[in-house]
Amino acid sequence: MPIIRCHHLHYRYPEGDNLLFENLAFEIREPGFHAIFGHSGTGKTTLARMIAGELGGFEGDLVIEGAKRVLYTHNMERLPGWADVGELLQVVTPAIARKQLDRLIETFGLQGCLRSRFARLSLGQKNRVNLARYLVQPFDMLIMDESLANVDETTRSSIVTEIKSIFPDRCFLYISHNMIEVSRYCREIVVIRSPKKQPQAVCLTGLDASSTDIVGPSAGLERVLLEIVHVT
Amino acid sequence: MLHNRMAQFLLLYGVALTGLLGLKYGLGLSDYIIPPFLEIYRTGLDVTPRYVAHVLNTLSIAILGHAISLVLAFAMGMLAAGKSAIAALVKTAAYHVQSYPIVAVAPIIFILLGDGLLSRLIISVLICYFPLLLTVMGVLSEPIEDIEHFYRMTGHISWGLQVRVRMFENIGNLTTVAVGSATMAMVGTIVSEFIASNAGIGYSIRVALYQSDMAKIIIALLWIGIATSLYLILVEWIGNLIHRRMAA
Repeated sequence: MPIIRCHHLHYRYPEGDNLLFENLAFEIREPGFHAIFGHSGTGKTTLARMIAGELGGFEGDLVIEGAKRVLYTHNMERLPGWADVGELLQVVTPAIARKQLDRLIETFGLQGCLRSRFARLSLGQKNRVNLARYLVQPFDMLIMDESLANVDETTRSSIVTEIKSIFPDRCFLYISHNMIEVSRYCREIVVIRSPKKQPQAVCLTGLDASSTDIVGPSAGLERVLLEIVHVT
Repeated sequence: MLHNRMAQFLLLYGVALTGLLGLKYGLGLSDYIIPPFLEIYRTGLDVTPRYVAHVLNTLSIAILGHAISLVLAFAMGMLAAGKSAIAALVKTAAYHVQSYPIVAVAPIIFILLGDGLLSRLIISVLICYFPLLLTVMGVLSEPIEDIEHFYRMTGHISWGLQVRVRMFENIGNLTTVAVGSATMAMVGTIVSEFIASNAGIGYSIRVALYQSDMAKIIIALLWIGIATSLYLILVEWIGNLIHRRMAA
């Protein structure tokens, strides 16, 4: 049973004339770290919001069968300014996930941010704090829309691999414009293209790396990169 | 802040008085219509102790009316922040009622309650309350999507949290509106006194109007301006204090 089954999806923005999705079809079959990839404006965020149940008004089938609790986070989110980051993280963390939060704070390099107000953090720190508070919530699927934007490459890699090791049985949909990262760490890569190209979504298989050890280019990585370039 | 606002008012008052006297001498108007400067000065010396007491009386009603309006507006604004039927009803009622000129219902209040303190207070509150309510309602009805998204997604959102987020994010706007409404409270009180009361500076202006005594009106305006400026300075100071403490 696939986790996400999307068939014959059609959608146009209420104020728009052109179709954003025309006969979009793809499947995510199992848990893991997957990606939605595509050029700007191809509808990645719109699709993510549809999967999270935030956006309706589309035609066709978009069935989320294997994930009861779907969360969607994006890189523009903020924490309230009335308390420091540490306090706000503690308040929203369920008691059962306190240890996990400590681990994430360490892995994400957030120890130095805990006593600061959110507004005083750098963009990269803000995104990491925001992601950490989502990860300690109960969820089956987490859609990460540019959640690691503005985070340096090394930290981003260690965060992704850490997420994969802590939550091997959960489903992640990672939206990023970083082709190398997506190719290296994601299992299934759903490439969304212009609706003029059919099929509009092409599913590729990534390297699904579990560690940051792969430093230089490899034949496998080159293959995935070429495939992505080819289909986009 | 104190110097700036007071200096601005005195400058404006001086310019207006000069303009009035310029009009008098330019058009050759009689002393009965616009009195000469010396008469205004003598009237000032004569009525100032009485008028200061009247202005303080008016100011006390305005402050009380302003405080009541703020409490009511925030309470109703919070009630209207949700998506319930009550919230929709409050919003609709507020939009319709505020479009009606409240001053027009003042005579009914005076007929029902007489010309005492309560009538002045109610009219002051009504004039100040509705514009304040609309702003508070507008602010509290508008989601702060980039903050509320997480709480909504994860089921942590509550009415109280929603109100807290929106108030905190708009604290600058809310304090500005609270300061702005202080003038309306003063205006409301003076209008109510002018219409039918037997106390306050509005009543003194009405008496001066019946006597066609422009000098008294000019002096009354001076003390109204000074009292309003002082009150605005106080409210601005409180607003800044709240703003600083919440943003700290």
